[in-house]
Amino acid sequence: MVMMLPFVTVLLSAWFAWRGSCAAAVGWWLATLVIFVAWCLYHMTSPLNISL
Amino acid sequence: MQLSARLARCATWLDTLGLLALAGVLWFAFAWQLLLHELPCPLCLLQRVAFAMAGIGLLLNLRSGVRPLHYGVVILSSLAGLVASARQVLLHIAPGDPGYGSPFMGLHFYTWAVVAFFVLLVYCGVMLLADRVDERPQSRGLGLLVRIAALAFLSILLVNVVGTTLECGFGPCPDNPTAYPWLRWL
Repeated sequence: MVMMLPFVTVLLSAWFAWRGSCAAAVGWWLATLVIFVAWCLYHMTSPLNISL
Repeated sequence: MQLSARLARCATWLDTLGLLALAGVLWFAFAWQLLLHELPCPLCLLQRVAFAMAGIGLLLNLRSGVRPLHYGVVILSSLAGLVASARQVLLHIAPGDPGYGSPFMGLHFYTWAVVAFFVLLVYCGVMLLADRVDERPQSRGLGLLVRIAALAFLSILLVNVVGTTLECGFGPCPDNPTAYPWLRWL
């Protein structure tokens, strides 16, 4: 799991948004969202330690 | 003047302030990381990504015209950030748990993140009340304040790419990071 990857894709998305390329910006944003979900599955599937 | 028309008139100003606030949050977190030498954990990094993703929607509004699609980007990003920050709150909810990192104004950063993502969701809901179709959906020029907000936003994203690479390299981050192992390679 490459941790810095979503920062790269969201930077690309921001760059295209800044350049006015809406479709490319939304495309890279979607790629970031997919990586985000994969990251969540990687980091959030251990049981919570909240039993009292 | 109707509420929706007032909201439509204020949209650019509010989106600019929103983008400045998001850039400010990310810059503040990075300054905190450097000054207090408190490295972000994986869930903290996830929340930073979600703030950055939300900023994309506001930047698109400012650059390409206000559209519901762009508010949809902010809403989905805020929901993603809310999941990550609420998960971290729950991880530290047990009595006696000191939490992760130092608190700021009595709350940890992930608790502030829950509040911030909730505010973003409310903001988008209110802005979508404006029954507005942008007359200039094509790319448009940027005012000075918009430029400052966009530059602050883009620069902190670049800084985060470098910072995360130094902390995690090209693999997963440790759960409780204490150093920048990739600094040794420089």
